[in-house]
Amino acid sequence: MSSMTRRRLLERSLALGAAAVLPGVLAGKAVAQTSRRDLTVAQGGDVAKLDPHFSTSSNDIRVSFNIFDNLTSRHPDGKLYPGLATEWKRTAPTTWTFKLRRGVKWHNGDPFTSADAKFSIERTYDPTVKTLVSTALATIDRIEAPDPSSLVIVTKQPDPLLPARLAFYGGQIVPRKYLETVGADAFNAKPVGTGPVRFVSWVKDDKLVLEANADYWGGKTNVDRVVFRAIPDTAPRIAALLKGEVDIITQLPPDHLERVTGNPGTTAKGALYAGLYVLAVNSKRPPLDNPLVKQALSLGIDRATLVKELWRGRGIVPNSMIAKGDNHYDASLPPFVYNPGEARERLKRAGYRNEEIIIEVAEGYLAVTKPASEAIASMLSEIGVNAKVEVIEYSVRAQRIREKAFKGLWWSDPTSTLGDPDGMFWRLLGPGGPQDYWRHPRFDELGQAARFSVDEKFRGEAYREMTKIFLEHLPWIPIVQPYEDYGLQKFVDWTPNPNQQFEVRRFNLKLQRG
Amino acid sequence: MRALVVFLGLRLLRALIALWLVSTVVFVVMRLSGDPTPLLLPPDAPHAEILRLRTELGLDRPLPVQYLAFLASLLRGDFGRSIHFREPAARVVLGYLPATLELGLAAFLLASLIALPVGLLSAVRRNTWIDHVVMTGALVGQAAPTFFLGIVFILVLSLQAGLLPTSGRGEWRHLVLPALTLGAFAMASIARLTRSAVLEVLRADYIRTARAKGVPEALVVIKHTLRNAALPIVTITALQFGTLLGGAVVTETVFSWPGMGRLAVQSIYNRDYPVVQCAVFLSALVFIVLNFCVDLLYGLLDPRARPR
Repeated sequence: MSSMTRRRLLERSLALGAAAVLPGVLAGKAVAQTSRRDLTVAQGGDVAKLDPHFSTSSNDIRVSFNIFDNLTSRHPDGKLYPGLATEWKRTAPTTWTFKLRRGVKWHNGDPFTSADAKFSIERTYDPTVKTLVSTALATIDRIEAPDPSSLVIVTKQPDPLLPARLAFYGGQIVPRKYLETVGADAFNAKPVGTGPVRFVSWVKDDKLVLEANADYWGGKTNVDRVVFRAIPDTAPRIAALLKGEVDIITQLPPDHLERVTGNPGTTAKGALYAGLYVLAVNSKRPPLDNPLVKQALSLGIDRATLVKELWRGRGIVPNSMIAKGDNHYDASLPPFVYNPGEARERLKRAGYRNEEIIIEVAEGYLAVTKPASEAIASMLSEIGVNAKVEVIEYSVRAQRIREKAFKGLWWSDPTSTLGDPDGMFWRLLGPGGPQDYWRHPRFDELGQAARFSVDEKFRGEAYREMTKIFLEHLPWIPIVQPYEDYGLQKFVDWTPNPNQQFEVRRFNLKLQRG
Repeated sequence: MRALVVFLGLRLLRALIALWLVSTVVFVVMRLSGDPTPLLLPPDAPHAEILRLRTELGLDRPLPVQYLAFLASLLRGDFGRSIHFREPAARVVLGYLPATLELGLAAFLLASLIALPVGLLSAVRRNTWIDHVVMTGALVGQAAPTFFLGIVFILVLSLQAGLLPTSGRGEWRHLVLPALTLGAFAMASIARLTRSAVLEVLRADYIRTARAKGVPEALVVIKHTLRNAALPIVTITALQFGTLLGGAVVTETVFSWPGMGRLAVQSIYNRDYPVVQCAVFLSALVFIVLNFCVDLLYGLLDPRARPR
């Protein structure tokens, strides 16, 4: 068990105290209101970058997917819709042709053309630009812009998922002329996009103000301004919502849900996360190189109880490494089971000799994972595993990722970037991927073939066989597919997106103030 | 006159040495804390990418070379470019300065304007109910952790009473709760020290003499006591002022106040060496300047402390 400092103890008691006090407080509270035609959003951290090609953090993409458009767009229903491209099709095994929307203008009045799209996509992997999304569109070989409203993309090998890749990060289209004129730093300070909101001002760690783009091709969004505020602490973020100072808050932890739903003016809305929370495994380290040990660990974790008690029912127990909602998710597979008797049996067969198994959890990174680690460690000690929790700092975690130096198990929240297994487990667990700690020849062969096959039936079969191999070897021990909850004023009609985009376009946002 | 010049010259030299030492310590400690590159690149970045970025940031050079380059640019007033924000570190830090000064000054004014009279009153009315109430309040102010006070203020004054906004920066109403939260500790310290310093003086022979001469009590306190009790009070007040101006991580976080404390801590997590160096340098400078002012004040208040 991790040691508990005095401050942490105080923080905990405080959180408990606040939770106890709040319902009473609400009875007599005075309600403020944000300006009638504004939407004020409070998120847990400030925006770091406005240049969309220099960040993949959720605080940033909530903003950048609204200042900018992609060629394709993934809506909150999880499906792919037209964005700056109106239609697309595969015209040869390695060639995709996109028809671009006509008459679209950048926020500074310049016309949008295929030259912008070509420039923007090439910029992501241009080694001299050094973007943070250099691998997102790396399947592309070359791009042609035969006329202002057509774009032809040739991939290195057949890429069935290219339209999906273009909908997520890296795919935000930036203006060639403006960027080349002002330079990257000025562009980051004052970005120009084609999206439904345009940049007005940004005071770091305070607020970012955006105003509606009246000429937006998808129709002017239903508010005049969108303001993003950074309120890092959970309790003040919720207080701001309850008091009516903000309209939507992100990162509403499950144990605070009732405070928001119990208040007359506010409610909570969640989306099943497009991804999983897993305990990733360093399968190179004995005894975790033994599949039987990993099976025992998985069998020894009572996920249903974790979901019920710690996630307050806001999550589901996964059944494989594929997230529910993704292509090729197999609903017929049973969820991971809890069977401590069988777990002990497999430990015995594995010849486990009380070696220490460390669970590393990063401070303040993923909601609930710290208490969950402690619960899991105690469940594992029930089956006779010598498990120990180590709390690490976020930057130490980043270092461990880079050096592939995790000590045993660690929390990871693989996001499904493409709505497909390729953009999730294969991106991370594949050869050379960031979580490459285990190899299996057949698994690798299938993963590679599925990535470059345009035959969905074949891909489905490949992922089914890979699932079998996965369940035997468990390079991840999946724990939960949680809901990501938001708190909002009841007059805000808005639907969250499972992949952390924050959609404020007209079709997804309406204010119905009394 | 010459004594004064020598005094000032020596102080300046000491200040420069202190700044150099602080910068060096921060330089070394930050580099011991780890490498910023993994935080700047996506987890699936290839190794070559990491090496390239390290070269670009100058992190591949030997530490002594990096240190000399750092000192050379420091002499030119250049703190380098922020690794995280990709703009000059000094510009980043100065951007946070107005909010920090606003909160620090407000907290300081609130603390000293309340604490000095209250501490004095408590000493003069020693062992009465006033004294007990003040000292209990001071104990709470010193003992209660900032995040606790902050959240209690938000719950009671903002959510329940609806008097003030919960967080953020804007008009004066936004300033009240953070200033009160941040100033609480300083207020308590100053009140307690004022009380004990005044009590100490009140026991002195010259006070007895003054009273024996028939000087009115109000004059005894204001003219004879306060001036003699001033030295420790000025010292602690100035030090508290420095602390308040140095940024207040917890208060800034609870009230989402865009101040330097949060910036510094975030920058430590981001391993943003230049920003941390600049922020710490600035804080050290504030302390040194304040200390210098206190020294000058000593001379004004107490002839014995003047350079001879």
